[in-house]
Amino acid sequence: MSSLSGVWAVLPAALLAAVPAGDPSWNSMLLLGLLAGLLSLDETALMQTWFSQPLAVGVLTGAVCGDPASGLAIGLPVQLILAGNLPVGQSFTGDSVSALVAAVGAVVLSGRGLVSVFGTPDLTEIALVGWMVVAVGLFSSAGHLMIQMERRAHFLWMLEGHRTLRDGRLRRMEAIHARCLFTTFLRGGATAIILLLVLRRLWLPAFAQLPAVIVAALAMLPLLLPGLGIGNLIERYGLRASWLWVAGGTVVSFAVTRFVL
Amino acid sequence: MRAVTRQPDRGVRKLGFALKVRLFMRSLSLQASWNHERMQNLGLLVAMLPWARRHRGDLNRDRTFCRRYYEYFNTNPYLANFVIGGLVRLEDDRAAGLDVPLGMTATFRDSLGRAFASLGDQLFWLGLRPAVVMAICLLGLFWQMAALISVIALFAVGQLVVRWRSLDQGYRLGLDLVDLLQDKRWHRGIAAVERTGMILTGMTAGTYLALVTDSGLPVNHNLLWFGVAVGLGLPVALRRRLPGEVLILVALGLALLLTFAVLLSGS
Repeated sequence: MSSLSGVWAVLPAALLAAVPAGDPSWNSMLLLGLLAGLLSLDETALMQTWFSQPLAVGVLTGAVCGDPASGLAIGLPVQLILAGNLPVGQSFTGDSVSALVAAVGAVVLSGRGLVSVFGTPDLTEIALVGWMVVAVGLFSSAGHLMIQMERRAHFLWMLEGHRTLRDGRLRRMEAIHARCLFTTFLRGGATAIILLLVLRRLWLPAFAQLPAVIVAALAMLPLLLPGLGIGNLIERYGLRASWLWVAGGTVVSFAVTRFVL
Repeated sequence: MRAVTRQPDRGVRKLGFALKVRLFMRSLSLQASWNHERMQNLGLLVAMLPWARRHRGDLNRDRTFCRRYYEYFNTNPYLANFVIGGLVRLEDDRAAGLDVPLGMTATFRDSLGRAFASLGDQLFWLGLRPAVVMAICLLGLFWQMAALISVIALFAVGQLVVRWRSLDQGYRLGLDLVDLLQDKRWHRGIAAVERTGMILTGMTAGTYLALVTDSGLPVNHNLLWFGVAVGLGLPVALRRRLPGEVLILVALGLALLLTFAVLLSGS
């Protein structure tokens, strides 16, 4: 217990040391932490309005930072690739919310602006979108462990509730439930702030050092992701059951986008 | 006294507004304390506590009440209020002196919870969610930010209305909720939503292909098409659903392979 409180005492100081002077500012970090906390609650714990879907998270984070378009540029490929992640019969639960809030926040707060991968001839800009999407994928995967730890803590706290089955103190149950809600909020917010610092200080500067061949591959990534995501969803529907409807939608929208719009 | 198996006809019953608001607010956090062993048990108990506080009895009654709801429970969060409304009705009937055996609460909770979990998974997770996600992606491809946020907001309000109304409906029907499950409109609705999702998936794919071919990017278009075809076909060929996070790494590997192929061919 004492070592844990020691960690908690050292953590704020370490965090303070990791923040470059005013970049990102404390205000921005706390605001993004708050947003990530609220959206993490929405993901499973509270309401489940789907504002925690990657595309909405990207746009909302971008809007909070003053550039929703950059949020859309990163959020769209992530949304398409995660479209098949459904909470049914699946044991993997990534934490895309914190990773995405941090990624969009890091890009916008660094003064960069991103545009649609289909709307720019600049391969470096598309490669940067790819670089940030890789970061979201890696950090979201790491978030799976955090979420599993949180759920194990829920179980231990739930066992604590057995005392109420003996003494009838109803308030304890409410307190445990509120503690679980607060933990989710804290996990989302703190993870986003830490990732924001990592991305801003290490990940984004590393992009300039990447070899040309990696940059070229990263430029191709956002163009390949939608295909994989859509393919994953078609597999979810079942190819035999869905091909006619999917093919019909594809032909119509291809023709409309190509020849009408 | 005779044990009830159907909901006794005692006129149209409605939840009191204040109690309904409290039950509704708490039901929104049903999954907050989700755990692998008993899933939503604590969430269900906390949602039911406003009723227990209103009918506060002796210590023993409170303890028995908590025990009834502290066992395994899992259902779909969007349809959970049917079950919660029904459970409140059973508690009301018991408090009013009707013979509701203790085991009936557990049977009702477990069987209805499972049935609504299955319906909700098909309707929301496999039907509505892919459809809404594809709709917002389609809008995203056309850079319509306000519209895509509006679609999510529309869903958010819609599901809150469903949850609010289902609380009343669950309470009104009580044990007769079983009849609601047999309504053919559930399955018609699920089929329609799934079909809409498939069409929207196709529309997103079509728009994406049109934008890729029309993008004017300075990349080798043959390789790009090859990559797109592999991307679309790989999950179907693998017959496995990989988490999106893993697919990002698969795509990165594929992109690296294609880039090296370009370098080796010298084009």
